[in-house]
Amino acid sequence: MRNSYQTIPAVITKISPQTDNIKLFRFEFEKKSFKISGDDFIFRPGQFLILSLPGWGEAPFAPCNRLGEELELCVRSVGRLTRKLHSLKIGDKVGLRGPYGNGWPLNDLSQIANSKSSEKKNLLIIVGGLGLIPLRTLILGKKEFLGKDAKIQIFYGAKHPSEMLFSSEYKDWRKNGVDLQLTIDASCPEWRGCVGLVTKLFDAAKVVENARAFVCGPPVMYKSVIEKLKEKKFEEEDIYLSFERRMHCGIGVCQHCGVGNFYTCKHGPVFEYGLIKNTLGAI
Amino acid sequence: MNNAQLRKFFDKIKEDRVVFGPAIQDGKTIIKKIDDFRDLKLDGRLPIFSFKRFFLPEKESLFEYVGVNLSKPSERKTQKIALFGVNARDLKSILIYDQVFEKDPWYQERRENILVIGQMSATSEGKWEKIEEDLFEHLSFDIFLARFAPALDGLSPGESTRDSEPKRARISGDNDLTVFSGSVLGREVLENSGYNDFIHIQFSGPVKEKGIDKRMLRIKEKLEKQHDQAIWDRLGARCIECGKCSIVCPTCFCFRIDDQAELGRGRAERDDRSDNQGTRNRCWDSCFYQEFSELSGGHKFLNTTAKKIHFWYFHKFVRIPEEFDMVGCVGCGRCAEVCPVGIDIKEVLKEIEES
Repeated sequence: MRNSYQTIPAVITKISPQTDNIKLFRFEFEKKSFKISGDDFIFRPGQFLILSLPGWGEAPFAPCNRLGEELELCVRSVGRLTRKLHSLKIGDKVGLRGPYGNGWPLNDLSQIANSKSSEKKNLLIIVGGLGLIPLRTLILGKKEFLGKDAKIQIFYGAKHPSEMLFSSEYKDWRKNGVDLQLTIDASCPEWRGCVGLVTKLFDAAKVVENARAFVCGPPVMYKSVIEKLKEKKFEEEDIYLSFERRMHCGIGVCQHCGVGNFYTCKHGPVFEYGLIKNTLGAI
Repeated sequence: MNNAQLRKFFDKIKEDRVVFGPAIQDGKTIIKKIDDFRDLKLDGRLPIFSFKRFFLPEKESLFEYVGVNLSKPSERKTQKIALFGVNARDLKSILIYDQVFEKDPWYQERRENILVIGQMSATSEGKWEKIEEDLFEHLSFDIFLARFAPALDGLSPGESTRDSEPKRARISGDNDLTVFSGSVLGREVLENSGYNDFIHIQFSGPVKEKGIDKRMLRIKEKLEKQHDQAIWDRLGARCIECGKCSIVCPTCFCFRIDDQAELGRGRAERDDRSDNQGTRNRCWDSCFYQEFSELSGGHKFLNTTAKKIHFWYFHKFVRIPEEFDMVGCVGCGRCAEVCPVGIDIKEVLKEIEES
């Protein structure tokens, strides 16, 4: 019978440092017949997978890009497993399993975008810190996932300019029609942009219209962002939140990621706001 | 089935299975390996621990690893066992395991090798006439041994719903057991042991025809509507997060997955020259433990005792019913018995209901 806990060996093909303690890793599966482009490991933006380094354990990560037969994970060195991962070199191996969860609700979005209706085809992405990671696949695959006419606006808050992820790509994103708005928590000499929490961008920039909002960030961020979204007249069904929780199994059994009636791994990690707004401990 | 027949039946089973069952030790009912039939105590009393660990061991090896490759543990035992004398409450929890671990290869492999023999003393359960309809048909067992109270002599459990059943499988003597089969395996085992005077019960799913218990639905609704935070604050002030309730609870099945590096064998003895070798284990966990909800970086979602105990109740009385149409509590009361600060689940449920 199928074993959900079995991992598939993957090889590191590229490592690009992002910040002091964040690296972008590129992987391909060791067995070439195992296809990312086929049905073997296809993931939708917002889904996650579990990375395994036997001896150091397992943890969930949202992939942040899909490139032919390769995928990318952006990882901060913060615990035992991720410190070990950061010590690895090109050619070293890890185990991967998944993908898990539901991902961002894109099907109807691309349908709307391709239809003549002007309704909610655009996307407002509000992210803080590492929260940008699960949205990068979507940003890079804008045309594929959202249709060519959709607008993407990003509100991204980081602690410090040096902690901004994928900063070398911003030029390309903007060229591609992405309205990227940045803010940092506290002023510093090398920053001339917006200073303040990510919610400040709601007032600093004109918010994209006819949009759904995808939100991902540290736990403290959600409440204030939702308040702002409501203020800007976003409907509950247009607000989607991606949750981070501790996970061990990834398939809705072990209980670690339980939130009210739901399991983050199985029913999430992306939740429609209306669905979980009354759930104790969700936001 | 009289005592001599029971003994014969027991000995027959012991020929190809290791038998575990209730026995008395220091005046308490425990579960142990039964080598001598005389140690077996089928009085319907609840053992201190449930039969959980036979289905979900405290720690089991999921894989052996070499480098990043995971393979099936080489020393995995698929021992055939018999659980001889599982009370009705612990039988209920097996239904939950079967649902939760439906797709789990390790569970399924173990489950296939467990012969479940249920037991009940009518006097300890009461309301006897509805037992078949309300209970027997909704429990999963291979064989069931029921001891009817003498006062109820003459009332066959088959009478209420099974008119066509042969009337021979009745209570015959004060101490005799009435025998039921609940699976093909159970029937075979009984017949192989030379005992044929049993009634087959058709498993009708874990939920009674009337649906999930109304009171439990009320409790679920209260919990979902965030009825009364004060109850949880009060419990949070009492509970000391020891996790004993999780350990004894037959339906607490939370687990974590831990890697254990192997230090023993030298490199030369192994085929693979990788330094990195060991086992990936699945171990019992508890939502009361510190790391349960902790993220890398240290954030904890269950950061108060009140949140933890709420999580414990929410799992049993909301998430399990939501997912499987069953109540995640079998009513055994073990959690109350072991709680060092005297939190009694019956009182808590009453409080929730009345909130």
